[in-house]
Amino acid sequence: MRRILLTLADSIIPESPRTPDTLEEVTRHALVSLRYMPRSSARMFLWGMRLLNWAPLWRLRGLRPLTALPAAVARRHLVALTQSRWLPIRLLMYGPVGLFMSSYFDQDFAHREIKYAPVPFVADRIELRRRWIEGHEPGSDDEVHHPAALAP
Amino acid sequence: MTILAHRDYRQVETHEAEVAVIGTGAGGAVVGTELAEAGRDVLFVEEGGYHPTSSFNPYLTESLPRLFRDAGGTIIMGRPPIPYAEGRCVGGGTVVNGGMTWRPPEQVLMQWARLTGQPDLGPKAMEPVFDRVEQRIHAKPQHPSSIGEDSRLLERGARRLGWRYEPNRRAQDRCVGSNQCLTGCPTGAKQSTLVSYLPRALSRGARCLTEVRANRLWIENGRCVGVLGSGINPRTREEDVEVRVRAKAVVVACGAIQTPFLLLRHRLGRPSRQLGKNFLCHPNTKVLAIYPHDIYAWQGVSQGGQIREFRDEGILMAENAVPPGTAAAQIPFLGDEALELMKRYNAMAMTGVLVEDSHAGSVSRCLGAPLAKYSITPYDHERFLRGVRYLATLHFEMGAEKVILPFSNFHVANDVDDLAEIERTQRSRSTIELFTVHMMGTCRMGSDPRDSVVNMSGELWDLPGCYVADASLFPTAVGVNPQVTIMAMATLVAQRLRLPN
Repeated sequence: MRRILLTLADSIIPESPRTPDTLEEVTRHALVSLRYMPRSSARMFLWGMRLLNWAPLWRLRGLRPLTALPAAVARRHLVALTQSRWLPIRLLMYGPVGLFMSSYFDQDFAHREIKYAPVPFVADRIELRRRWIEGHEPGSDDEVHHPAALAP
Repeated sequence: MTILAHRDYRQVETHEAEVAVIGTGAGGAVVGTELAEAGRDVLFVEEGGYHPTSSFNPYLTESLPRLFRDAGGTIIMGRPPIPYAEGRCVGGGTVVNGGMTWRPPEQVLMQWARLTGQPDLGPKAMEPVFDRVEQRIHAKPQHPSSIGEDSRLLERGARRLGWRYEPNRRAQDRCVGSNQCLTGCPTGAKQSTLVSYLPRALSRGARCLTEVRANRLWIENGRCVGVLGSGINPRTREEDVEVRVRAKAVVVACGAIQTPFLLLRHRLGRPSRQLGKNFLCHPNTKVLAIYPHDIYAWQGVSQGGQIREFRDEGILMAENAVPPGTAAAQIPFLGDEALELMKRYNAMAMTGVLVEDSHAGSVSRCLGAPLAKYSITPYDHERFLRGVRYLATLHFEMGAEKVILPFSNFHVANDVDDLAEIERTQRSRSTIELFTVHMMGTCRMGSDPRDSVVNMSGELWDLPGCYVADASLFPTAVGVNPQVTIMAMATLVAQRLRLPN
């Protein structure tokens, strides 16, 4: 099962940037998340992943599972599934896409890539609230402003 | 202050209290606090862990498993299937919600009064109850310093189109707009029950057993006399401790899915067969706009206001900036294509359309887990399409480059003319992608055992001593964010709860 999850993660998340641990990390997160689900749901999820692994076969596009295909080919299969006209097939993709994408885009290197830096912003806001509690109400300098945002 | 966790339990743990309250969210915390303040000995039973404000951080991989049920991976089956999220931690959903405090529209309360034959659910009679709740959670508009550019953009767009925009009143005390409502407010400003109600209860002697799953009600001679549960080892997730709580009354406040799930185990709700029925979920869908300039939607409060122009049609629209992990899980691309779009994360305005339920689903038990079923009607579908078109039009009016639409077969509109394609491509309800966090209505309150699950005190018609105090009580949909309505109903239940001698 671990191999299937690694293959699915490899096909779903961006090829770069990655660290040497990225695939392990997002797969570990998926396995941790499963522990928080009811056993029946976790079991169904894992069966769904096995079914996905054999997508080339049931799509009549090949005889080998995704784990035996190059990542680019496996990705093409998965992209086709996310765009399937059949709802149950798209539904199969909800779980892995949600788990792997949310895990990938939660990493610091991915944050840097998309220029998202919540930690310093939150620290700044905690300090602002602390000053407010001490009696210094925020002024116009403390407002969140990015003038270009309302340019049009 | 007594908060116990798995490490504190013996192999068989037994407690006694006057009132056991299962759940510490908007319903459980309120009913328990009101009772504790009235001098009752209250014991909370909470499945999740206790995570104080200082532990909250913006990382989803940490927050999802510890704050959300099933690590956020839950789904309502139907056409279309609807993923949903609910809290599982001390404070429940109030820790991970947006903290909106909209009262239900007057006509909803009038309808409740009419349906139940009880004028005390009407708008006039409920006013002091709402006042009390709102005072306790500091419901008020946001300070200007907390408003972000995405909220301003939506407001300006609405005004340009002549639509009514109303700033949100939120449960907050000096909110500075850190925009981390979803992963637990790291400043302590959001007045979740974790920081508002529960400290009051604990200071009055209430106790809280955390990491305990309530598996069964303890029933003797036809009366509910406690809760039987198990302690969950947070490391292994195994249920390895037996926990028993004996009480004169039990209040079930686990939310509109878990409450009927627990009660159905005992085949309750017989008189009306309504237990688990009347499931409402106020679904929503997303509309992501990419602007040519950065907006930094993740700075400033999530949901500064709502577009309420179409409220009478049951349509609400709002911005709702979510972390990149959540946004990436919702976009219709994989791999590098997804990254290309996510590189525009700072230029994204994340908005959504909420549609009031016109039809109910159900909750039942299946293979040891709750099975929620709900399908939108063609009428709901038509309103969703209209809402998506309205929002996309607003974004193009405000200069958006493109809009990512919530349809599996029509992802991107590049200009306003593309929106005409919505009519042509969206014939099936299966192609729209929905989400929800507002589950309600599976143990409806009423004055007739033939058409309701609980009486006007919240007590089950067929199980004395067992009360319900959460969104399950709602007789009909409220059509707005339900937090204060849940809190008001829980306050009523606390006022009406009677203990046996």
